[in-house]
Amino acid sequence: MNPINSKNKTMMALITGAAGGLGKAFAVECASRGWDLFLTDYLREPLETLAAALRNGYGVKVITHACDLTEAGARARLFEHLRAGSGRFTTLINVAGVDFEGPFFEQSGQQIQTIVRLNIEGTLAMTHAILQYRNPWMPFRIINVASLAAFYPMPVKATYAASKRFLLDFSLALREELRSLNATVTVLCPGGMPTNPECIKAIEAQGWAGLITTLDVGRVANQTLDAALAGKAVVIPGAVNRVLQTFGALVPSSLLAGFIHNRWSAVRQKRVVQGSLPAA
Amino acid sequence: MDLSAKTYVITGATSGIGMAAAEALVRAGAGVIGVGRSAERCRAAEAHLRGLALANNVRYVVADLSLQADIHRLGEQIKEMLSSDGTTALDGLVNNAGVFTYWLTLTPDGVETQWAVNHLAPFLLTWELLPLLKAAPFGRVVTVSSGSHYGARLNWADPQLRRRYNGLQAYGNTKLANVLFSLALNHHLGTDSTVRAFAADPGLVKTDIGMKGTPALVRWIWQIRRSGGTSSDVPARSIVFLLTDPSLHTASQVYWKDSLPKQASREALDVQSAARLWELSEKMCGIKE
Repeated sequence: MNPINSKNKTMMALITGAAGGLGKAFAVECASRGWDLFLTDYLREPLETLAAALRNGYGVKVITHACDLTEAGARARLFEHLRAGSGRFTTLINVAGVDFEGPFFEQSGQQIQTIVRLNIEGTLAMTHAILQYRNPWMPFRIINVASLAAFYPMPVKATYAASKRFLLDFSLALREELRSLNATVTVLCPGGMPTNPECIKAIEAQGWAGLITTLDVGRVANQTLDAALAGKAVVIPGAVNRVLQTFGALVPSSLLAGFIHNRWSAVRQKRVVQGSLPAA
Repeated sequence: MDLSAKTYVITGATSGIGMAAAEALVRAGAGVIGVGRSAERCRAAEAHLRGLALANNVRYVVADLSLQADIHRLGEQIKEMLSSDGTTALDGLVNNAGVFTYWLTLTPDGVETQWAVNHLAPFLLTWELLPLLKAAPFGRVVTVSSGSHYGARLNWADPQLRRRYNGLQAYGNTKLANVLFSLALNHHLGTDSTVRAFAADPGLVKTDIGMKGTPALVRWIWQIRRSGGTSSDVPARSIVFLLTDPSLHTASQVYWKDSLPKQASREALDVQSAARLWELSEKMCGIKE
């Protein structure tokens, strides 16, 4: 069977950052729905481990390709793999993203560049490349993972939050452009998620605020996939987070930045005292 | 009780109930292979047990039971240890290691952590060691369940509760799975088999299960709750009884507390659920018969 000539209606998703917490949750969620997968991540070994388990557990086809999305050469090899494969994609989930702890002037030039290259450049390149490999007989769904941080200027996370703001605006604009292609763009803006011991420590340091704004990745992946299939524009998981976003929208940005700065500095201080962060 | 010719494997054997059971077996002269996640804690436990009177053959293996690849490696290592002792027989396996997680986390295999460690690991390790258990005169598989299985009910559309997670509910589900697994294993082995599986209810015990990797609130609640609990020696005695008592060769009860059969929940004794869980577990562990 040549899938290019037949009306293949298999769901097939490409997920970036698939070995990490949220990416893995998306991969498992898609597999549990019987979707075939193309998984990519910076790390090869965890990608292979996950792929093998998903093939066993859910009987789906899984292709892997380890790739550093910040490197143009590595991206070109990934796109070549997409071109050579016979798969026709129905979904793209851009999860790969990075942040480095600390204020702007304490970060290295390399770190700042990596944030921009992965969060922005990597996402744009992936989105641009995959559109030509989409399944023309199916609606195409793009999910971009931004952050609750996309709604505010965030001191101590200045570059990261701005990169997520870029993804938010880009997604909303692209969504309009792609209507005629039967494609939708959904942008996910989650709060903190307890994906690894480091994240869990960071959430705990926020005390009760951390507990009520935190959502499990499984639920986020499930809700977001449903929202994307329904063609929704923005997903903000969690009632408390939606309230925060609404209030945030009513307060002038400069005031908000001051408030967030005070709060994050206090949380950071607490983590330094507890020893989970090195004293700067 | 003289167990000097016997060898038992115990997971989670560096603290709590697993450590107490290992100690009781070592005192009776049995060979013990303990399994723990931390090399440091394994070394300490091994040194402690070797210092006991009658200590015969005490060894520890480091393994992370949340990784299926590590469980395969562990199975191989245990086989090698036994063959270097000149035997292919294992007298008992105690699936004791268990975790509680407040948040949903996924293992590298993409499995919810409690489901992976509390249920799939016992399933897969037992599967790996089954030929050795069958080679013993009487092989026993004791899986440490819990009273929290009462009231639990598996949701077959989402058995790991990935989509709507609640840590306590997920814990109860894995403890229910422990009973169902023991039931299914006995069924799988058939009535003529020399291998028997039991689920042990340890009661409320003063262990650290609620203290590892949980939010401060959970640690606080567990600290209060466990203050009414017994010492780990109480469930350890019951586990040793299930591993060694000759009267159990023909026992039909699967759920035990304080060395006595106890009525498990109706969900836990449902033969169809047990068969369904077995099939699902085989699939998730990549076992093809």
